[in-house]
Order: sequence, then structure tokens, then C-alpha cells
Amino acid sequence: MSLLSVPTTSALPSLQLIPATHPAVTRILYRLTRLSLLSLVLDWLDERNQETSAPYLLTSDDEDDEQDFYPPASSLRALREVYTDLQARKGSKRDVVDRILEGDWRDGISLYQLAMADMQYLYDHPASQKWTALKIVRLSTELSAPSGTEKNSIPRFHPATFLRNLQREALPDVKAHYNLDRHPTLPLLILRVFILESPYNTGLALHSVKERTTFDGSKTFYVAFPDASPYIYVSLASSPSAAPGLVSSAADNNSLRKLMLEGIPKAFSKPRDRFKLEGTSLSARNLDALVERRGGGRTNAAGGGWSVYADDKKKGSDNPLNVQLPTPESSILEDDQEEKDSTEKKLGMKRKRVDDPSVVKRRRLVAKGRFGSTAKAGDGKGIERLDVRLEDHFPIVSALPDDEADAAETGEPIRKDKKQKGRRSTITLELDRTEEEDELASDGWRPDVRITFHGQHVFAGIKELVEAGVIDGEKMPGWMTGEEGISVGIVKDGRIKGNKGSGL
Amino acid sequence: MIPSTDDSILEDPIGAQLDNEISSLQDQIAALKAQRSIQASTILSSQSTRSTLNRLRASQKQSKPSPTTTDTTPLLSTSTAQLSHNRENLYRLCAGITTFRIQDPDPNAVDEGKVLGLRIDVASTGKYLRPYYVMLNKPFPKSELLRVHRHTIPPCIPLSSLVDRYLPNGKGSVSIGSKEPVARKQDLCRFARGLRKEVVGYHNRVGVIKNLRKEFKLDEKVSRKGKGRERVIADISAADAEAKQIRIEWVDGRIGRCVVGEDGEVRKCVIIGEEGRDFETERRVTRGRMEGIGERLREGIY
Repeated sequence: MSLLSVPTTSALPSLQLIPATHPAVTRILYRLTRLSLLSLVLDWLDERNQETSAPYLLTSDDEDDEQDFYPPASSLRALREVYTDLQARKGSKRDVVDRILEGDWRDGISLYQLAMADMQYLYDHPASQKWTALKIVRLSTELSAPSGTEKNSIPRFHPATFLRNLQREALPDVKAHYNLDRHPTLPLLILRVFILESPYNTGLALHSVKERTTFDGSKTFYVAFPDASPYIYVSLASSPSAAPGLVSSAADNNSLRKLMLEGIPKAFSKPRDRFKLEGTSLSARNLDALVERRGGGRTNAAGGGWSVYADDKKKGSDNPLNVQLPTPESSILEDDQEEKDSTEKKLGMKRKRVDDPSVVKRRRLVAKGRFGSTAKAGDGKGIERLDVRLEDHFPIVSALPDDEADAAETGEPIRKDKKQKGRRSTITLELDRTEEEDELASDGWRPDVRITFHGQHVFAGIKELVEAGVIDGEKMPGWMTGEEGISVGIVKDGRIKGNKGSGL
Repeated sequence: MIPSTDDSILEDPIGAQLDNEISSLQDQIAALKAQRSIQASTILSSQSTRSTLNRLRASQKQSKPSPTTTDTTPLLSTSTAQLSHNRENLYRLCAGITTFRIQDPDPNAVDEGKVLGLRIDVASTGKYLRPYYVMLNKPFPKSELLRVHRHTIPPCIPLSSLVDRYLPNGKGSVSIGSKEPVARKQDLCRFARGLRKEVVGYHNRVGVIKNLRKEFKLDEKVSRKGKGRERVIADISAADAEAKQIRIEWVDGRIGRCVVGEDGEVRKCVIIGEEGRDFETERRVTRGRMEGIGERLREGIY
């Protein structure tokens, strides 16, 4: 720790140690499972990480302390063996955490180590954060609009420059620690921003009066940058974990978060080339789903049944040199025969089904046609929530009789928010956004109906219902297949309004 | 009775062997099936098959249909389908951009679900890639204006700016056929051509970068010492999504960045090492097209 603490505008250094006795350190480490904790420790002990996460080792002038419960190891290699041994043995997590905090890292845990632990937790629990996709759009003035040459739509992302610019946007009385990490499987770069409210970037910042709130989860904040894509994903507060008694801290954190969010497009910008962020009506816990619908590939604007055009599976068959006749849909179905048996069992018992095989086959064909190659229960690309506000005319003939049954099936009744009551959620706000202009529409009564689909994989659930005959696959509106690629939307005349999802 | 342990040990290798056999047989079946379908397509495509079938049909029409003669109608229809498929392939091969009609499955779709599909076939490094699709519809009542409905164009291709330029659908825009002299006129042909140009350009740039990597043997394992020439370039890669910027790294720590135009000409280049800019190599790199970067670099090295 340096002797002087001077207010500064620079970022928190990764080397900054946090005392091992700090409650937050214990909490973050305890969140991990024993296995991932041990592999994390072995990462810390890697030669390359010694600058930022060196353990406490026995130095030559140290005398052996008999009282020491965890005697320090003499070398890195010895320590690595100790932890590899622990990996092979069974034991409790408490032992490992105690060993780390009281033994090998008794001087403190660096911010970098803490960030690694947090990232590990994120990878272990992919659903722990709720991500919102935002689009980076060029801020164009009317004057410089169609010059023709400047049509690059993806801002170039250079991590070092980006972080420097982001830091410049941060206020002087807020310090942040940044950590970039590559997602192990997805084409994503994840930035963890850890915000600290203090003008100092030394140890003093950590010893502030509000020590207890210093490390609550809402001050860490993740931004994911998919490769070759004009979108970013931002994590929202997953849990209101503010300590009781400190009412203002939650609001403080929100404003800090907002500040960071405003800094992101500015950090992308450079002189004469500026960007802003735009919402894309999609948020989900599942990063796979986001990469599929707001990523750098072909599937962004070809969801649902259109996915057959973006499909990668039938490699080479969609090729002008292929003389063979394309296989008709009905024979493709036979491939997933075994899949059929499994779904057959799961189907709900609420209604009597016509079990005639030809009818079943017909339904499966329809489902295949409507959903294409998406919305398979096991593909891990499900969104967990779909909020829709229906703005259709009150039907004279019942237009969408199936929705009610479906919402009931997924376990949540149709939600009708009383607007005057209580706090509005962001979703409600989003759905209410365009309401004012519609008051004028006097061409009939448009009741305010809101539907929430909720489940592990919403569209796979709807597909199963189509296959089971609960939903009529041919009359089902398009937004129920997920082809718009959104999680919040307003439906008018049976279609999603605005249609931001189609990638343009 | 408890089964003896010897049996299970003996059975295991046999089971594995059987599994192997089964899987190899299945592979064989798949290969044979593929072969059969190719053969069937070839037979169906041939002119003589067609004429034979036609003759057979004609003769059947004259004589009374008896249960013994085979019904040629399915054969004939498959043959017709095959011929139209062949024709479609021919168009795709020659034109590069083809159109087709799709019926939108959404019952609430605009314009009764009529959708026009554009298919862009691109070949790169001697192979046809998966085609790119753009689906267009006419969402505006009483007007023929087109709008992009769905597409499979990755975000690194500036589709939206092409749409802005060639398929405007805001106020004052006019559909293809109309004769009103307005500046904002929709032009599907130029749109498709522009899009194809972008797609092809993108794949060419990616291909050139791949070739450059091959030229400097960057994808191979580091060769054994003493063999071959020493490696000079450490890495060549695309620095942005559109592959319009190339990043070159030298073994001695110099880093270069060059900006490439749409057509592959090198526009700008900066190379910085520990001792400042390397103007000579910069000039060398900017002297021509991106395909020649490798050659020009080597001239300077050796």
C-alpha cells in the first residue's frame, strides 16, 4: 500500500490487495463449488499469474512459526502439489477457503483474483445474470448522412483503447476495476466492471466507512462483447442485495450503473464518429440465446421457421452443384424418431388428444414448418420469459383462443398489471411506452391484455404444445414461434409492432 | 446363479468388435444410399430416360390400363421435378442471384404471406458456400414498396445502408415500376447487385487473408529448428468484422495495420516498431493490392 492516498481519476489497479478478513472476500469464495475453487487456485498459482496473484511463500529469513496452522509453502511447485492433492481428495469447501484466506493468501486477495473468482462463478452459473442486448448505432447528423463511403456499421472494438476511453468517462469520485475475459465456449469477450465509490485508488478506498456495502453484488456489472456484431449485452441487477438500513445505496448503485452504461457508447466513439446505444427488446438469462439472436452470424434475422435458411446442419446440400433432389420434409422427420418417443411421454394430460398417427405426424410436420430447426428442448438456446401486450381489436370471432390455455400451461396466469399500483417494472415500462399515441385509435375497442410466457425454454414449450395439438399450429401467430427474436413486444394486428427484431 | 467374471471380460472385446462392425456397416449404408440417390438423379436427368418415359406413357394411354403394367405417373413427375431442379441449379450457377417465392407460415402475415426470396450464391476458394438469403415482402397497403422481412446476412455486411440507398420505404419513396421522377426510388436490381458485391468482396478479403497466412505458414506448427527459413511474420489476421483491416505482427515486435478498400486495394498502412515507424515497409505494403502483400513483404525481407 502506498503511503499517500491522493484523489485521482485512474482505475483501480489489479494488484490492489483486499484484506483476507474482509467479509466480501469470504462470500465471493464461498459461492464457488469446491472443485471450481480448487481449479481457480491452481490458476492463481500458474507462473503467468504470479504478478497479480502471488501466494504467501516462505522466505529464507522467515523463521518457522510453530503456531502457524497453515505453514507457508517453500515454493510455487510445492504449493501447487498441495492443491492438486486437495483436488484428488474429498473434503469440505470450508477447509479450502480457510487454507486460502488464513494460509497461502494471508496478506490479502488482489482485485484481479477476486475478479477471476467472480468470472468463475458466472461460468459455473450461466443463468445467474440477466442480460439485455443493446445495439450500438452510429449517431448520424442530418448533414453527414448518406455520403456513401461511410457505411461500416460495426464499431471496431479494441479492448485496450476501449477501457482507456471508458475510464475517461468515469467520474472522479468513482473508481472501477476492469477485468476482461474470454468466454470459454461462446464467441464473447466479457468485461467485468467493479465499481467502488471513492476518490482514491489505493487501499484507503477499501477501508471506507461503508465497508459493508463496498462489495455488494450490485456494484459489479458485466458487459459482453460478441465478436463481429454491432450488439453488446449488459447485465442487469439480478438481485436487490442492498443491505437493509441503507436505503439510499440501491439508488446510488443504479445511478452508478447508469453512468457506466452511458460511458460505453462514448468509449466506442472517436472524433467525428460517434455512437449511441439502442434497446433491442431482448433480454434473457441465456447467453447462447443472445448470441444466436444478436450475434455475429446469420441467425439474427431468421428465427423460427426461417431458420431453415440459416441452418448450418445440412452442409453442402444447398449448393448449386448438388444434382440430387432436395429431400421432402416428411422424410426428414424420420430422423428424429427417437426424439418423438421422448416427447410423447412428456405431453400434457390436460386434454384428450387424437392419437391417430397420421394426425400426430401432421402436427409434427406443422410444428417443424413453423419452428424450423429452432426451439428444440435440448438446444440450450431458450429464453426464459416472453412478455407480450396484445393490442388487437376485441375479437368478434375469437381470434386467439389458444393463448389462454398456453399461459396456463406454463404455470403463470395471464398477468394484468394495474398500472396505478406499485412500482413499474422495466417490462411494464417498455410495454407502456407507445401507449399515448394509441389512445386516439378510435376504430374499436382494444383491450389491454398482457401475456407472459415463463419457463426454461419458452419457444420449445410452445412447439411441444403444437405437437401435442393443444395449439393449432397453422393458426398460431408468428410471434409465438420466436421468429422475431425479442422477449418484450407489443402485438398489433397479430404482428409484433415496430418489428425491431428483423435485424434492420 | 452368479455369472462368472471371466465371461464379462471375454464379452467386452467381442461387444466392442460388434459395435465397430455395426457402425462401419451403417457408414456403408449411408454411403450407398448417397450413391443411389446420385445415380437416380443422373438417370432421371438424362434425355433418353425422359423420352422413354414419354413413350411408355403414350403407349399406356392407348391400351387399356391393366394391373400388370406399372404406373408411370410418379416416375414422370419425379423426372419433371428433377429437370426443374437441374434448371434451377443452372440458373444459380450462372446468375449468382436468383429469386424464388415463399409462403409466410404466419397467418397474420402482411400481403397474404407472399414473400419474395433472394438467393445469393457465393463461391470462395473453389467451393460454393452456403447461400445467403434475403426475404422481401410488401407490407404497405396500396403500394408496391418492398421491405426486407427476414434475411441471413451476417452483420458484417452493411445490409441496412444498402437498403437505405436502394430500397427506401419511408416518405416520398417510390416503387420500382412507377414513373414518378422522385429521387428516392426503389431499385431491387441494384440492391441485389450491391449486396452481392459486398458479400463477394467480404469473402474475397477473408480468403486473401487466409492465403497470406498460408504463405507465411502461420497455421502450421513451428517447424523444427534448422529447417527452412526462419519465421519473420508472427501473425496476420483480420482486425475487424468486415476484414477491411489487416493486422500484421512481426517476430521482432513490429506491428502493422493496413486498411483495405472494398475492392481489395491497400489504402493505408502503418507499421510501428520499437524504433518508431517503419516507412520503407509501409511503402512496400501500400504499393498494390492486398493479394500481393505477402510477395512484397518477402521482397523486403530476403
